Amino acid sequence: MLLPRFEYHEPTTLEDALNLLHELGGNARVLAGGTDLLVKMKRKLEKPSHVISVARVPGMDQIIPRNGHAVTIGAGVTAAELARNELVMDRFTPLAIAAGKLGAPPIRNRASIGGNLANARPAADFPPPCMVLNATLKLKSAKGERDIPVNDFFRGPGETVIEPNELLVSLHIETPPPWSGGSYIKLGARKAMEISMVNVAAMITLQSADGPIVDVRIALGAVAPTPVRALAAEDLLVGAIPSEELFRKAGEIGVGMCSPITDHRGTMEYRCMMIEVLTKRCLTEALARAKAWKP
Amino acid sequence: MRDFQVLGARAPRLDAPAKSTGQAKYADDLTMSGMLHGALLQSPIAHGKILNIDTSKARKLKGVRAVVTAREAGLVKYGVSPARYDETLYCHEKVRYVGDEIAAVAAVDLETALEAVELIKVDYEELPAVFDMFEAMKEGAPQLHAEFPGNVTAEVHQEFGETGALMAQCDLVVDHTFLSKRQDAAFIEPHSCLAVFDLQGKLTLHTSTQVPHYVMRTVAMVLRIPVGDVRVIKPCVGGGFGPKSEATPLEMSACLLSKVTGRPVRMNYTREQVFLHSRARHQFYAEMSLGVKKDGTMLALRNKAVLDGGAYTSFGIATVYYSGSLLGGPYRLQAMKYDGWRAYTNKPACGAQRGHGGVAHRACFEQLLDKTADELGIDPVEMRLKNVMVAGQATINELNMSSLGMKECIEAVRDGSDWKNKKGKLPKGKGIGSACGFFVSGAGYPIYRSDTYHSTVVIKVAEDGGTVTVLTGSAEIGQGSDTMLAMIAAETLGIPLECVRVLSGDTEYSVDLGAYSSRQTLMTGHAAKEAAESVRRQIAEVLSVHMGCDAAHITFRNGNVLFRGGPGDFEKLRQGYIKEHRGWTDPPGGDYLTFREAARLAFLEKGTLVGTGKYKPPRLGGAYKGAAVGTSPAYGCSAQVVEVSVDLETGQVSVDNMTDAHDCGLAINLTSVEGQMQGSLSMGLGECLFEEVKFDSRGRIINASLGEYKIPTALDMPNVKSIVVESNEPNGPYGAKEVGEGAIMPTIPAILNAIYDATGVRINELPVTAERLYMAMKEKEKKP
Ligand SMILES: Cc1cc2nc3c(=O)[nH]c(=O)nc-3n(C[C@H](O)[C@H](O)[C@H](O)COP(=O)(O)OP(=O)(O)OC[C@H]3O[C@@H](n4cnc5c(N)ncnc54)[C@H](O)[C@@H]3O)c2cc1C
Repeated sequence: MLLPRFEYHEPTTLEDALNLLHELGGNARVLAGGTDLLVKMKRKLEKPSHVISVARVPGMDQIIPRNGHAVTIGAGVTAAELARNELVMDRFTPLAIAAGKLGAPPIRNRASIGGNLANARPAADFPPPCMVLNATLKLKSAKGERDIPVNDFFRGPGETVIEPNELLVSLHIETPPPWSGGSYIKLGARKAMEISMVNVAAMITLQSADGPIVDVRIALGAVAPTPVRALAAEDLLVGAIPSEELFRKAGEIGVGMCSPITDHRGTMEYRCMMIEVLTKRCLTEALARAKAWKP
Repeated sequence: MRDFQVLGARAPRLDAPAKSTGQAKYADDLTMSGMLHGALLQSPIAHGKILNIDTSKARKLKGVRAVVTAREAGLVKYGVSPARYDETLYCHEKVRYVGDEIAAVAAVDLETALEAVELIKVDYEELPAVFDMFEAMKEGAPQLHAEFPGNVTAEVHQEFGETGALMAQCDLVVDHTFLSKRQDAAFIEPHSCLAVFDLQGKLTLHTSTQVPHYVMRTVAMVLRIPVGDVRVIKPCVGGGFGPKSEATPLEMSACLLSKVTGRPVRMNYTREQVFLHSRARHQFYAEMSLGVKKDGTMLALRNKAVLDGGAYTSFGIATVYYSGSLLGGPYRLQAMKYDGWRAYTNKPACGAQRGHGGVAHRACFEQLLDKTADELGIDPVEMRLKNVMVAGQATINELNMSSLGMKECIEAVRDGSDWKNKKGKLPKGKGIGSACGFFVSGAGYPIYRSDTYHSTVVIKVAEDGGTVTVLTGSAEIGQGSDTMLAMIAAETLGIPLECVRVLSGDTEYSVDLGAYSSRQTLMTGHAAKEAAESVRRQIAEVLSVHMGCDAAHITFRNGNVLFRGGPGDFEKLRQGYIKEHRGWTDPPGGDYLTFREAARLAFLEKGTLVGTGKYKPPRLGGAYKGAAVGTSPAYGCSAQVVEVSVDLETGQVSVDNMTDAHDCGLAINLTSVEGQMQGSLSMGLGECLFEEVKFDSRGRIINASLGEYKIPTALDMPNVKSIVVESNEPNGPYGAKEVGEGAIMPTIPAILNAIYDATGVRINELPVTAERLYMAMKEKEKKP
């Protein structure tokens, strides 16, 4: 399979990149790791006349801690980097776990978090962790910038709020409070190189090691046109003392928030049952981490 | 007593340096000046009449050098078995599947060729299509080939012994059905070739194939050129597993386009085209009944098969025979009845793939065996041991087990897996299962009926006597056959492995039927041994005159020559050699005359030393119809124990441990034997748990990529405990026989039996996705 013809740009400053996007807009695509874009171009699903690489834009590939309160993650940071970064593993656990389950090592070495979010595949691995971590996305254009909460970012399969002249520059995530813990579970056929049939991320914050739940977020992927927050299930949990039975109920409610499809990877029925099971499991894992929280 | 200098070791592969440094050349690495690039036009619809083909626009495109269709190619029918030639290079009246070849283009670059393909306009009248094998055989179904009404490409009806009468005498008859799914072999290297006609009008085709010999014959037949004018060269090949065992439209198109343009033409399949060309494992449906005595003695087997063949026959006749014949062993049966049908459907044609025709029916049978043992309250391993055949016995369908370490294999995996402490003692969700199987070590007959030798080998000694070159048409496709041949030549000549070079995969070197049916170690191995013996004899004869020692008392060992077991007085010969090589820095030394000196002496007297060897099996098998399929000079066999964990809440299966024992006769290269065993297991694991080629409602493949067609990753494959069991095969060179395919036989049923042990659920449809198992467990919960 051959790539269609296109012009290639490799700006070396953010400003140049934004100006190029401003000029070329709808005729251009941003290239990060290329693991989505180049596949689509080879399959002739996308035929941009210009491709703008962000490989040489400074700062795009950096993870910057903000005094313990937060972290800024460049859109170009790779899954491999996120999976092995100690700060991310420690405080933003669902993101590190998801990063370690994306594709396989060669893919992880290229795949960026920005590309994953911008590509907006309903089954993608990064959206649910970003949602339970309440990430904010920074979009910049030659004309200005805006911050979008990740929960408002996805519009449908392959669709986001990014305008053709905008670049996703970074994610900003506040550090979860004490006694927080999170997890991520992905269900696929194989142990690697999988597109999720269902995936779940959860974050739990406890009052204390043995206290009630003060905050919880659950996000589900591959079960609706965009990843979804299981808000009703979260409502059930807030203020409650965690228990297996409670988590099972949360899973049951979670199913109600989803509209999975039947395709060649699995049926709607099975996906629904798995939402229930995996939500319960993910909460259980998150709880264990929250209880084991260390300053 | 075995006393080998070279065989039985862990030899580094001859191709390892080139492959690990990236220097190895595959077909796609080859390039020639003036080379054109070809591309194929393939049908976008599953079934339709071709009303018109308009190539005018494509021909006018700048850079296009040729466009060929059935008009240019002619309508010579070809296929695999002459009994069922049902293909033409390009479709002329009808297309029969999405992917059927209609035309080919050669252009100055691939981009132009692909653009030209899009400019060819074909008018179709779409016909109703049939995609299901059972539907295809029903009355009123759309018909694929006028010559084969009812869409039946082949059917088999065989009975050995009195099945009905014996079944009536049984204490217990147990039934089982099984449905497998269409596979893709998923070799790493997609087909690739480069064809060039020289100025004498002779054709050379470089191609990624398992069978240079058959490709040569088919290309010659279809393009109507003498066989002698076609040379097929196989460069390095990145796997074949069966689907590369026949000539492809890709190869023939490249040859035709080269003929028309007078230029070298290169063509490749994309990964998607590999799926479309297919020729991989069929979908099988199996239905069986096993009749036994209370004590577990097997008496009779009834076996029924339906195969989804796709649009053409390919290897299919053999496939449907194998599904019956390969259940004749490794257990003693007193009667066996088999009925099999292979249906045409509007999908890519299926062919041979590792464990040809035997894998699905073996899976059904070994599950049935476990089911029966369960009902009788007998340990399934004990039941296997009770019925197992031993060397010297013949199956009821007259396959002769000249060696058979089946019992040893079962005992090895039983003990190696700690079966006795695990079976029946594992917690819910954990399970252990076993199974056996056997396979041919080379098909007893060539694909076209002929008295041809299956293998010839030429061995040539360099003029200085130091290097020996093995010339063979056999196909190294990554399995290690070159190294195997070098080892046999070195052992036979009594020289170190380093002194042997192998030139292989070229029809110019020798006749060899190629790498299929696990035949090269036994057959090419025999021919190599005979060729080496001839060289050895010629050298010994010359020496006997000079040394006054009877040739029968001259032996070769580790590069030295022994006269009556000792060094002898060879000083004069040594001086002669050194004189001839005055100024050279590597004079032969040591207490013995070296092979190098001896071979040089023989050269001086006789000219270039050449030895030839040949092999064809004796007449094998019974006299009944179809008796040829399943015959072999020898059979390899294997047993496996698999342990699994099942996630009872999701249905996900993890294979935790695999213990595998294989009887390969003599293990010529231990490392390669283990490699074949482990590769077979991983392939079986994939077929069992993940793999299925899927179609949409219009016959288009929806997962024609290695992203969506899921073969096991390294994380899905456990470490394998590989136990090599060595019998001494009387019909094999130095006692060796197959390991390439037999090892896959027990994998699927062993996993399925382990899943049953873990969950109490018998899955009789592949693949065992988490969903399939989960739903089956739910279903079982509902029933009290
Ligand atoms: C073999 C294979 C396995 C895979 N496995 C998984 C998996 O397990 N889980 C999973 O979620 N995904 C998987 N993917 C998909 C892909 O790898 C991921 O989505 C990856 O994160 C995409 O990142 P990238 O840097 O390669 O994006 P690119 O391909 O470079 O870009 C993807 C899209 O995002 C846009 N884009 C990229 N960066 C920006 C930016 N900064 N601002 C605005 N737009 C931008 C591009 O224009 C393009 O439309 C797999 C892909 C392959 C080929």
